[in-house]
Amino acid sequence: MNGAGIDPLHAWNIATAMVVAAGCALVGSLLVVRRMSLLGDAISHAVLPGIVLAVMAGSRPGGLGVMVGAVAAAIVTAWLSAGLAAGAGVAEDAGTGVAFTTLFALGVVLVSAFAARIDLDAACVLYGELELAAFDTVSLAGWEVPRGFLTGTLVLAGVAAAALATWKEQVFAAFDPAAAQAAGVPVTILSVGLLAATAVTTVAGFGVAGAVLVVALLVVPAAAAELLVDRLHRVVALAAVIGMAAAAMGYVAAWQLDTSAAGMIAVVLGGCYLLAALFAPGDGLVARLVAVMLLRWRVVREDFLAALWRQAEGTVIAGPRGVLPTLAAVSLAAEGAVERTAGGWRLTAAGRGHAETIVRSHRLWEAWLGRNVELPLDHLHPPAEWVEHHIGRDVRARLAAEVGDRTGDPHGRVIPPESPAGREGPA
Amino acid sequence: MNPASLLTHNTLVVAIAVGAVGMAAGMVGALAVLRRRALAGDAAAHGTLAGVALAFLATGRRDLPWLLLGGLATALATLAALVLIRRWTRTRDDAATALVLGVSFGAGVALVTGITARGLPDSAGLEQFLLGHTAAVTARDALLLTACAAAAIALLVLGLKEVTLVAFDDAFAAAAGWPVALIDLLLVGLVAVMVVVGLPAAGAVLVTALLVIPPVAARQWTDRVPALVALAGAIGAGAALVGVVVSGLVSGLSTGPVVVLACAAACGVSVVAAPERGWLARRRRARAVHAAWEEGRILTRLEAGRPDAVAGGDAAILRQMILAGLVEPGVGGFRLTAAGRARAVERTRRLAAWESILAVAPDDARAFLTIDLPDPATVIDAARRAEIGRAAGLGMTP
Repeated sequence: MNGAGIDPLHAWNIATAMVVAAGCALVGSLLVVRRMSLLGDAISHAVLPGIVLAVMAGSRPGGLGVMVGAVAAAIVTAWLSAGLAAGAGVAEDAGTGVAFTTLFALGVVLVSAFAARIDLDAACVLYGELELAAFDTVSLAGWEVPRGFLTGTLVLAGVAAAALATWKEQVFAAFDPAAAQAAGVPVTILSVGLLAATAVTTVAGFGVAGAVLVVALLVVPAAAAELLVDRLHRVVALAAVIGMAAAAMGYVAAWQLDTSAAGMIAVVLGGCYLLAALFAPGDGLVARLVAVMLLRWRVVREDFLAALWRQAEGTVIAGPRGVLPTLAAVSLAAEGAVERTAGGWRLTAAGRGHAETIVRSHRLWEAWLGRNVELPLDHLHPPAEWVEHHIGRDVRARLAAEVGDRTGDPHGRVIPPESPAGREGPA
Repeated sequence: MNPASLLTHNTLVVAIAVGAVGMAAGMVGALAVLRRRALAGDAAAHGTLAGVALAFLATGRRDLPWLLLGGLATALATLAALVLIRRWTRTRDDAATALVLGVSFGAGVALVTGITARGLPDSAGLEQFLLGHTAAVTARDALLLTACAAAAIALLVLGLKEVTLVAFDDAFAAAAGWPVALIDLLLVGLVAVMVVVGLPAAGAVLVTALLVIPPVAARQWTDRVPALVALAGAIGAGAALVGVVVSGLVSGLSTGPVVVLACAAACGVSVVAAPERGWLARRRRARAVHAAWEEGRILTRLEAGRPDAVAGGDAAILRQMILAGLVEPGVGGFRLTAAGRARAVERTRRLAAWESILAVAPDDARAFLTIDLPDPATVIDAARRAEIGRAAGLGMTP
């Protein structure tokens, strides 16, 4: 690990991690939207005995025989999970738990028992050996290409081709399996194909991340992408980008910190998900928090205007006090809606229209509640105090037509007329 | 390790402790599986690794109580992350579980690998928490494990009624005024504790199996929760002991996989051989239904004078009927013997009787009619039959 630029070995390792991550992200997106994430987790554990048996039978790690062994193990897992759920009367998740822990334990025992005869050890099973990917090469048209990179690329091409060829059916089955089945889409074949694809990408991911961490490569990019975009093809594309970026960043971080690349890739992926959950536009935690705070700010400002209006009317003596109302007053004064007086604040002509709209909304709603809902008089104010901020011009017009503008509110106060400055608001 | 060393005091104490942990894990797991919290336990289990590594960094020693405490802290943090993701994002439950599991385990792997790579003193053994390794457990640690297991069992037995209620019908429990959230919290907390104290026996990757497999095995033998809990505890204890002994005898073998395979063997035997629910029993019942159906079909056709009518049927059933003296070879095929004819006549009579019962008293038919078509007179008492006969307007008892 010399510091002078990027060593070609590291470059190959990073490239290997990136192609594998892209393949995993593609398959993982379909697993996530079909709610099969945990089956993906189970399969990534359970392929181990299939791989070990295939290696013992003479297949090369990452070779075709290993793929066949892994797919067989995946199908056994799915069959055992479903069989235990149906036959033994246990919940599906418990059936899955039994199947994959048993197969994984079997794989570990096989690895321990035959460690001398096969090129696998428990550490490789658990962490992968991405750091060593560049040392195991094959000659390809004069180039020495790492075997893991070649396998990863072929697997990525294979699953991408399969996904493209069946794309329409995949989308249908992902969002409404029952309707897809009824419409003649072979949903069962798609599901089995997805399981097989999971097994194959797991084999490719095995060398990169180990059996246990493949689940992070499968599920986390898709889960993060789902928070950010809506259409399935965008989820897949974004998941692949996230997976590849995290693979590269995780590898570099692990190299700098001298620790496991697979572990750091998972940690970086977790960071990506956290960022997506926090900052997704519209739906992210920060966006939701900002929306709530903006609403609250508007309510404080409108309440302040309405309070000044009622003060002028004489129905309220003291104006609102506190930090937020004072801030609201300052911001309203900057807009010219209120102005400072000796004793406090008063509405300007510009602010009066807005204030009247709020009070009108409030009293119309009280009047409507008083007429149509059997609430005692002293229960009318709280709902109106909230609804006043959400009623638009159209709703006010309908309320006014129903309760009659001139009658006043149930407390006997005048309902101010519709002001030309009245907010449009939600219809 | 040779067989004689299995009998040392330390090994014996550790074996008892691991057996107790296996028992407690099976018992807690029984309720976790009923409440469908099995895979949340898996996420917590994978989360323990980071805490073990952090506790090692903080204390600088491989001292089991501190390591397990660290593991418990991150296991609970993992569960909290799971709850937060479920509540605050639109990520679905299954993806959230897989995500939390993968990321927390990745953090653990990065920490353990980083610590090992730096060659800190005493750090070599941290990897044993991945797959479990009981050989390194001391008598003092064993005492701690036993105490935790005993406390978990005691708590579970005390709260069994409440947890059972919540597991089967949480809406009813909430309506009846039970603190469902608190009981759930207790159960999940117990799962987290068992996952942590199960680490030496099974390791972070496989400890879930100690919670999930024994209950699935026990479920095959009983329909009652107390029996289920007790049996799951016994299976868990047995499997844990097998794991300690076998991994002690074979060098280089972790305890966890052996424990899991022992659990799986118990589960396999249960799923195949348990009375009532087992595969063999269900197959036997299906055969009995098939045989009764086929015998009835053959009797009806032969009685109707269609000697060829058994063609295409089940030859084995036909052979049994020939051996029983009901059917004999005849012109152009088979015919009924005198005994067979009597059986066919009786069958027709019973069918007619049950049909009339079904028409006026379907509840009685549902309660007493079985596939072997019993005589109504032997299963429904005379007074009730007379009543049904009057209702059917037969003027007789069926």
